[in-house]
Amino acid sequence: MELAIRRDSPLMRLILDPVNILLMILLGILFYLVLWPFLELVLHTITWGDSDRRLSRDAVPGEYTWFHWLEVTASPLSERMLYAPLVNTLITGVISTVIALVVGGGLAWCVIRSDMPGKGWLQPVLTLPYIVPSFAIALAWETVFRSPKVGGQPGLYETVLGIPPPEWVSYGTFPISITLAMHYFPFAYLLVAGALMTIDSQMEEGALLSGASRMMILRRITFPVVAPAFAAAFVLTFGKTIGQFALPFLLGAPTQFHTIATMVYANLALGLDSMAYVLAILLILMSLLAIWASNKFVGNNARRFETISGKGFRSRQVALGGWRWPIFWGVATFGFVVGVLPLILLGYQSLMLIDGFFNLSNLTMHFWTGQSDPEIAMGEPGVLHNANILGAAWNTIELAFFSAVIASLVGLIIAYIVVRKDSNPLARMLDQIAFIPFLFPSIAFGAMYLTMFAEARGPIPALYGTFTLLVLISVVNRLPYSVKTGVTAVTQIGRELEEAAEVAGASWGRRFRKIIVPLASSGVVTGMMVSFVGVMRELSLIILLITPSTRVLMTVGFNYAEEGLTQLSNALVLIVAMITIAGELILWWAGKSKLVRLREKNS
Amino acid sequence: MASIEIENLTKRYGAMTALDNVSLKIESGEFLVLLGPSGCGKTTLLRCLAGLETPDEGEIYMDGELVFSSKLKRIVPPGKRNLGMVFQSYALWPHMTVRDNVKFGLDVLNLSESESKDRLDQVLKDLGMSDLQNRYPSELSGGQQQRVALARLLATKPPVFLMDEPLSNLDARLRMDMRVELKKFQAFTGSTTVYVTHDQTEAMTMSTRVVVMRDGQIQQVSPPSQLYKRPENTFVADFIGMPRINLIQANQSDGKNHLYSNGDIDIDIGWDEAPSSIVVGARPEDLKISKKELKGSQTYEVSSVLPNGPETIIQLTKGGTILLARIGHEIDVHEGEKVTVQFDQKALNVYDAKSGALLGPPIDTDRTN
Ligand SMILES: Nc1ncnc2c1ncn2[C@@H]1O[C@H](COP(=O)(O)OP(=O)(O)O)[C@@H](O)[C@H]1O
Ligand SMILES: [Mg+2]
Repeated sequence: MELAIRRDSPLMRLILDPVNILLMILLGILFYLVLWPFLELVLHTITWGDSDRRLSRDAVPGEYTWFHWLEVTASPLSERMLYAPLVNTLITGVISTVIALVVGGGLAWCVIRSDMPGKGWLQPVLTLPYIVPSFAIALAWETVFRSPKVGGQPGLYETVLGIPPPEWVSYGTFPISITLAMHYFPFAYLLVAGALMTIDSQMEEGALLSGASRMMILRRITFPVVAPAFAAAFVLTFGKTIGQFALPFLLGAPTQFHTIATMVYANLALGLDSMAYVLAILLILMSLLAIWASNKFVGNNARRFETISGKGFRSRQVALGGWRWPIFWGVATFGFVVGVLPLILLGYQSLMLIDGFFNLSNLTMHFWTGQSDPEIAMGEPGVLHNANILGAAWNTIELAFFSAVIASLVGLIIAYIVVRKDSNPLARMLDQIAFIPFLFPSIAFGAMYLTMFAEARGPIPALYGTFTLLVLISVVNRLPYSVKTGVTAVTQIGRELEEAAEVAGASWGRRFRKIIVPLASSGVVTGMMVSFVGVMRELSLIILLITPSTRVLMTVGFNYAEEGLTQLSNALVLIVAMITIAGELILWWAGKSKLVRLREKNS
Repeated sequence: MASIEIENLTKRYGAMTALDNVSLKIESGEFLVLLGPSGCGKTTLLRCLAGLETPDEGEIYMDGELVFSSKLKRIVPPGKRNLGMVFQSYALWPHMTVRDNVKFGLDVLNLSESESKDRLDQVLKDLGMSDLQNRYPSELSGGQQQRVALARLLATKPPVFLMDEPLSNLDARLRMDMRVELKKFQAFTGSTTVYVTHDQTEAMTMSTRVVVMRDGQIQQVSPPSQLYKRPENTFVADFIGMPRINLIQANQSDGKNHLYSNGDIDIDIGWDEAPSSIVVGARPEDLKISKKELKGSQTYEVSSVLPNGPETIIQLTKGGTILLARIGHEIDVHEGEKVTVQFDQKALNVYDAKSGALLGPPIDTDRTN
């Protein structure tokens, strides 16, 4: 009798399958990097900390308490700390999301479903505001509408018109909503355009043939069919706006206008860590609530929204007739105002020796190429000479590079497991956990990592202040996207291709390296570029984790803006914007040439 | 019921001409099939009839009334043309139940409540969809979705049916059943039907007349049997028929006007006036296979035998020439065997090798050489 479990028994084969081993390891890692930090965050808010002794005499470090939650939700401070910012967050979030959806949806319709001219180059222009860092738009807004009443120099508006702009135009709900909408409408545009592309225009033509009017078709066919896409776009855009930190901070803080996100930052600056974390948790809950509501809406009606597709799909463009050119000019002007003009303003502002004087004699290259001059900008040299900035630039590139490469590779491996082991519940769990970071508003995610890695824990050293931590959070934050890219890539690689290699005796590692990676590479490299650009312009995510030695361009730019050194900050943001635009151009160009190649192959 | 007349219709997409000067008369109550390879302009023609595309040139009359004219700038909108259409993708509205999908067209007609309900119930019953009327399209099988598309068409009782490859999303067996059913409904309603397909069996079995198209031009308009027997050019001859027709290119033999040869085979077309180079079309069943020497027969080697149920397709080789023949069970041949072949002169078609146009059948002169 042989009692030992044989190596080739079904159980052992399951356990020894390298893919299963990898699956378990990844599950463990993701659990540690995604779920645990959330628990840490929650735990931190219900435990007395060392610094709490100065807040309350009852504090016993290490003991459980509801103190922080009560302070935030039901104390004399609550109005200022929670409720007012909550209202502000909701109002700016909803207004900006609605504007972004209306504008993005309208543009998507023009580009996808109408015969508007100039689509080819309008499309990249229209996505510009989303490509550049969000607070570039806030800085540009300030350049125009800044008001000396709150301090600082007058903006372009006052210089030209001679009267200061109303304060509600300069700071608070209005500018924050508008600039958030400006930054996020391309996001809504991309989501709605994606949905519109899958809609068979013959659905509308069928109604047209039965004699229905255009209005009736729009009301009874088109709107109901795109409704779920709109609902999803609403929630995703809203979730992004409420996690935005830098933009509301720049356009709100000067007048004590706070959102939850800026309040997290403000509390941390005051050393009220646990209060900040309570707010971060509330922010996460808001995001989850929105997702849950939309899932419920779409879920209840899921069967109604499954479009059926088969041969004969057709996406036909509506002839705009006489409106063709007016609409083109409208869209082009809009694209210029939101995509190009802000960058021009930033560029111009960065050339002004004395901020706020818009005449030509005031122009200087000092903030770009000048040497340190104690008279100007507290002696900060121009951005191209500044050792601090060069260090930050290097950090930025390193961070973006490592994060993009790691996120893409890990994403590909996870995608592979998810696609190939789709019947394994653990693989599905892996997929779901990898998606969760998408639900964390950026600043709250940063707060989670701050609690998680502030001190050494077991074998894991205190990562706060290290470059590794920045890479870690950037990678995890990009995972939802890179897994999605990977899934698309792996799905296109037929299982047979791999089986053919398996029959030939290739091990799993070899198959992955020699078949999956090369075949998925074009998709994954594209995803890598997208991540590179995405990490580069990220600020809200890492602002809480940055220390002087790990600063990146975006945080340096933000600090300059905080200190009122607007020319320097504009110059820096402009540099980041140029890099991200260049990255997108490369992607766009690569995508175009790929399309051309495909077309050549088909004809 | 309605007749349709199309005159010199041209439709261009940029530099590409999708319809090239198409003229066609469709009789009232006819089942007309547009047949042709993918991309030849069938859908475009159908959509021009529906008013979903605006042609660049030409006129369309429906029941004598001008519904489109490029010269007069007259465009009657789709909803006013009194026609129903089944799309290749069905284009069912995913957010409406089966019943609502069918009801939509009736709502537009402004019928009385009771009439609308009666018609709706009737058409759902006729198509056997009564039990499924509260389902959504995504909860139906392909065949059922097809029926909804059909119900949507039938409910408003339009005098003209337009169908764009309505069966191409179904599997082979279901397609067969639906062919019968479609034909039944068409006969029952008597509506003029224009039906697009690239499947020649579908065209042959369902139509009263077939229009063969290629590159935006009409190649031939004929009843199906005529189409098979007398293809008017080599493209149609080659496109129609499975297995495909034998097209033998041959040149006039020296001195004898009626004798042609391609080096391996000699063919006598019996004409005194003919071009120097021709193509002879012979359907596989027009080759008489025998193991005996017959008058005018030539000897071939059987290079391949492909049995297929009631018939067998064999490949014959003589020199560099390869021919396909269709034989029944009365003769048993094997690979490598030598057989003799006689052409059925009456069934052959002779084409001009240059233009590809049909010259006519050979004259069966009983000339003995
Ligand atoms: N909207 C369009 N824009 C440009 N070309 C088109 C469009 N619709 C059809 N075509 C072209 O016109 C030709 C005929 O198309 P179609 O009528 O759909 O062919 P069929 O239905 O016979 O397969 C094709 O070459 C197709 O590419
Ligand atoms: Mg077609």
